[in-house]
Amino acid sequence: MGKIAIIDTGTYYHHRVIHEDRFGHFFDQAIYILDLCKTDLSAITTLIVPCRTDPAHLVAHRKLFADFLNDGKTVVAMGSTGPDKWLDDINWRFTPTNFWWWKEGGSLNLEIAEPEHSLFDYVKLADATWHHHGLLTPPAGATSLINANKAGSIFYDDRVTSPGRKIVTTLDPMYHHGNHFMPATSRFLDGFLPWLKSQ
Amino acid sequence: MGICLFINPIKGAGDDLPDIGSHAPNTAFVDQYDLDKTDLSQFAALILPAHIDQRFLGTRSDQITTFLDQGGTLVFNGHVAWPMLPELKPFVPLERQSLENLMIYRVNHHPVFDGVDCNDLTFKRGVAGFYARGSNPPPDGAIPLHVLGKEQLVCDWLYERPKGGRILMHSGNDLWMYIGSQNSTSRIVPQLCAWAGGE
Repeated sequence: MGKIAIIDTGTYYHHRVIHEDRFGHFFDQAIYILDLCKTDLSAITTLIVPCRTDPAHLVAHRKLFADFLNDGKTVVAMGSTGPDKWLDDINWRFTPTNFWWWKEGGSLNLEIAEPEHSLFDYVKLADATWHHHGLLTPPAGATSLINANKAGSIFYDDRVTSPGRKIVTTLDPMYHHGNHFMPATSRFLDGFLPWLKSQ
Repeated sequence: MGICLFINPIKGAGDDLPDIGSHAPNTAFVDQYDLDKTDLSQFAALILPAHIDQRFLGTRSDQITTFLDQGGTLVFNGHVAWPMLPELKPFVPLERQSLENLMIYRVNHHPVFDGVDCNDLTFKRGVAGFYARGSNPPPDGAIPLHVLGKEQLVCDWLYERPKGGRILMHSGNDLWMYIGSQNSTSRIVPQLCAWAGGE
């Protein structure tokens, strides 16, 4: 089974995800952001960039991520990390974040785009439903798993644009779980991380 | 009036940091990783955002302790995950996030919160929990300012250090999330900068 590493930016919300009991055991290695350039990634097969990692600190590592993918490995880019700035072939666009749809009687209009995908053996759409930060247009040949408003993807699986795999989402569950806020985000991680481990 | 030095937080969503400078005249800004190159003696207050690399801050504890010993003011927002000063202890969340536990109560008056209605702190658009969901435990001798619910967990406190300097703690989101608000919370940022600047 592959080894999963996650970047730790030293924020309290990453601390709760990476270093506390509920999810800490999913990660074989935590890599402090300032140590990324000197970390040996040879034994790592999946590298997670958790929500709200400042893209300014990732741009300098573009080659590291590209090399990692060229080795046939998996990069997971979570929400609010600006993946278009540090990964190739990412098409992300800003959309105003709808935090209040559930108070205003509206809907995020999320839909599962690929019901047979193994992610949905682990994650229910309701547990992916809080808000999202922008929309993605998956590259040709990649598979969108969750779409919003029929306007774009908020979660896709790309096995085509590199020898590796890019899992890209605009959901930010680690940030909100780390804030002890929005229980759906914790339930999302209850499914998402075991799924990732199963890959 | 002394100058308040705000540490620029980690960027993520991109649309989440209001312009503090236009709401208080005595502000300056520095990127977090430039703190080691910053002469703190020229500032009255060091103001930390919730979105900060606490592991890096831990490497600057001597610098911050010297700043405090010389009479400086430290304002901390967020949950303590990596205690970087002896006065700070790890965040303790509420055991149960019920409405009654999320109610904010004032137990001592302070100029930063002068005229701020606790109801406006407890509720945002009728939803409780934005202000605080637990406590960074106060050191002995600290003055509690706001507490949470029946458990009386202290979420805001002021500590006048025996060796000099003072720490204002807010165990929650950045206090400047209230910039531009339409209720009494809009008083917080100008009052915070005035107090921290030594007016």
